[in-house]
Amino acid sequence: MSTESEPLKPLRTWSHLAGRRRRPSEYEIVSTNLMYDAKNAESPFELGPNIPLSKWFKKYRHGSPLSGRDWEEFRDPDELTYRAYNILQDGQETYIEGLFDQHNELQYDAGLTAAWVATLPRLYTPARYAYHTVQMASHYLVQIVPSSTIRNCATYQAADALRCVSHRAYRTAELKQIYPDSGFGTAERTAWENDTAWQGFRELMEKVLVAYDWGESFVALNLVAKPAMDEALLRQLAATGRRQGDSLLGLIADSEYRDVQRSRTWSTALVRFAGERPENLVVIRGWVEQWLPLAERAIDAYCRALPDSPQAATTATQAVHGFLQSLDLH
Amino acid sequence: MALLDRADWYDIARDTNWTPKYVTEDALFPEEQSGTLGLPLEVWESYDEPYKVTYREYVRTQREKDAGVYSVKAALQRANFLDQAEPGWVSILKLHYGAFATLEAMASSAESRMARFGKAGGLRNMATFGSLDENRHGQIQLYFPHEHVHRSRQFDWATKSMHTNEWAVVAARHLFDDIMAGRDAVGVALMLTFAFETGFSNLQFLGLAADAAQAGDISFSNLASSIQTDEARHAQIGGPAVKILIANGKKAEAQRLVDIAIWRAWTLFATVTGPSMDYYTPLDRREKSFKEFMQEWVFGQFERTLLDIGLERPWYWDTMLADLDTRHHGMHAGIWTFHKSVWWDVPPGISRAERAWLEEKYPGWEETWGAHFWDPIIARFLKDGPVDTVLPSMVQLCNMAQVPITGTPGWTPGKTGRPLQDFPLEHEGRLYHFGSEVDRWIFQQDPDRYKDHLSVADRMVAGMIQPPTLEGLLDYFSLQEGEWGEDALGHSWLEEYRQEQVQAA
Ligand SMILES: [Fe+2]
Ligand SMILES: [Fe+2]
Repeated sequence: MSTESEPLKPLRTWSHLAGRRRRPSEYEIVSTNLMYDAKNAESPFELGPNIPLSKWFKKYRHGSPLSGRDWEEFRDPDELTYRAYNILQDGQETYIEGLFDQHNELQYDAGLTAAWVATLPRLYTPARYAYHTVQMASHYLVQIVPSSTIRNCATYQAADALRCVSHRAYRTAELKQIYPDSGFGTAERTAWENDTAWQGFRELMEKVLVAYDWGESFVALNLVAKPAMDEALLRQLAATGRRQGDSLLGLIADSEYRDVQRSRTWSTALVRFAGERPENLVVIRGWVEQWLPLAERAIDAYCRALPDSPQAATTATQAVHGFLQSLDLH
Repeated sequence: MALLDRADWYDIARDTNWTPKYVTEDALFPEEQSGTLGLPLEVWESYDEPYKVTYREYVRTQREKDAGVYSVKAALQRANFLDQAEPGWVSILKLHYGAFATLEAMASSAESRMARFGKAGGLRNMATFGSLDENRHGQIQLYFPHEHVHRSRQFDWATKSMHTNEWAVVAARHLFDDIMAGRDAVGVALMLTFAFETGFSNLQFLGLAADAAQAGDISFSNLASSIQTDEARHAQIGGPAVKILIANGKKAEAQRLVDIAIWRAWTLFATVTGPSMDYYTPLDRREKSFKEFMQEWVFGQFERTLLDIGLERPWYWDTMLADLDTRHHGMHAGIWTFHKSVWWDVPPGISRAERAWLEEKYPGWEETWGAHFWDPIIARFLKDGPVDTVLPSMVQLCNMAQVPITGTPGWTPGKTGRPLQDFPLEHEGRLYHFGSEVDRWIFQQDPDRYKDHLSVADRMVAGMIQPPTLEGLLDYFSLQEGEWGEDALGHSWLEEYRQEQVQAA
């Protein structure tokens, strides 16, 4: 009983971190043990177990086959905090802004070949739709994952996706100024909805977006769909661009790929953390096998459309496989 | 120009709606998450957020904001302001962090619900920044109080509170689960951002910043004003959504959601901000009374916002204005009486000088709250010595607000205030109690949403709190000695009344 015990004494840190040997980092102080609704499996919200979203969370969070771990113990290996994220990304965006500025000054776009200018509104600028689906899917993770430490990672990933959307929107407008009749700013939605190059990613992402189980959502997005998209739309498009005399694309993509690596770092850590319960690895492998064919078809459809890039699909697919193999998932 | 202006490309970045093909629109935007009342994607494409910001601008501005707030904190840390701060201000800080830090982090999930399930590209982008903002507010409001954990175990409640069933926490969770964590995207837009943030919290952070500056807490003042600048931006997410609902024949639904949220926000403010402003803040630091603040800033401004956007004043507006004379006085009296049930030390705030101020701001306070609540306690304390909290067995909790049902003690017709009154409702064989007709009305708007919840009082009756004693209840609240609230002045305020007694004799 509380009243029979000694009065509680002040501690050096939060009580939930006080028992540990290490001094907590700033990351741990501001990121851990915050998701109160993940604790109560029967009634995640104070309103009771039967409101629509209570049922949703019971089914898709607590009912997930990915289970059996104290998810609040998960840690982001990068220990990224909000203020560190903005320092990091402000630096990256200053770099991107410099690229935009210098290339514009040099009238870079005017020097692109006609064939490549015709390719960009088909294969580059429509990617804002693709990355927007990543933005949306990452936001689903923010609300459905079972701990505040996973939620943080997803929050920054969602913002990274908006960063990719923004770069493409910017370039769309800039290219449109020089090539007003090439479809920049007008042809993208049609391309996303009808062009065979995009239908693989569109189908993949529409389906990922409705994979509502939190574990499946994480696996489908972070281990399969997003890696497939990043390899095809960042790496392989950039490689093609360099051969077509467009080096700017690759410079932007390299900066975006740093965000990709951060996503893979925490995704890897989360798989390892979940996998400490072996049943979880079986579940994750099952999802990977289920989603991979769709992602491979998406890579294929997109990369086949890249001019003069016969190896693109194979290279992108191998990179995705390599990532999964590094996790012992393929 | 070597760089494009924002206006040259902003619209492209939010032009992201597409027609789903491999799944249905309803599967992609299920009603329980989306809440769009059947309005399809095309209708939402006219959504136009008034505050425009790009990713590039966001990360730069936010980096600069954080650099400012964290460097001021670092510079002032060694001054140990809190060691000399007045007890009332320390209580406000403990209350504030415990009540809001974790909820701010939870608000990022609600923003993300809009960013995923909102049907407008502009809304989804703005909510992406909103989600980041709330991630910030959670983190920064944990970083700041962590500095103080060695001072008092009560600061531990910044992370502990929401994991407990402490009564005020249950009330806060019930409210915020209703308007944010447990609401669909449109509900969050209207109830959290439009009603709660535009109407209340945006201004509250302005007020807090001013109060902190008055109290000499520069570090916290900076923090509050910096948070407010984020709030001022993402609070604007809801307005354009209201307009779309009105333009598409859903005004009644929009009005209902907003009406529910405003009343619920009011009851929270009366519980937290009212006592802080009128009883905890040191007398010589008080700028405005809670009533003045609410009348001028909150209700006055928000009324115009509502009408400008095409909504009506909530039907209960006059009831709410009248409640400014009762509710928060009652909440303060209750919290002080049962100060062991909260995680901050509660200043009584009833010295003679403070009472004169209360009478000036709330004419009639002395003949009701003074004569019928505080004087009898003072007389008893002078006679028998101050007694500690006893189990308030007769307190009735509202089944909506989850806080005690209040009334003005000694009220008779003609006096300001209102009588203590329960507004009961029988629903499916269960008797519910409400502190106002508005709370009861909210229940009736969607009984299925609320009917299964048990208030802490219901739990006591149901035998869920064992043993059913003061000790058992405090244990249920996860409060132990060392963290539960005491009289913030250690009853030293009684001395003034003892002197009076001596002189009278
Ligand atoms: Fe906030
Ligand atoms: Fe907010």
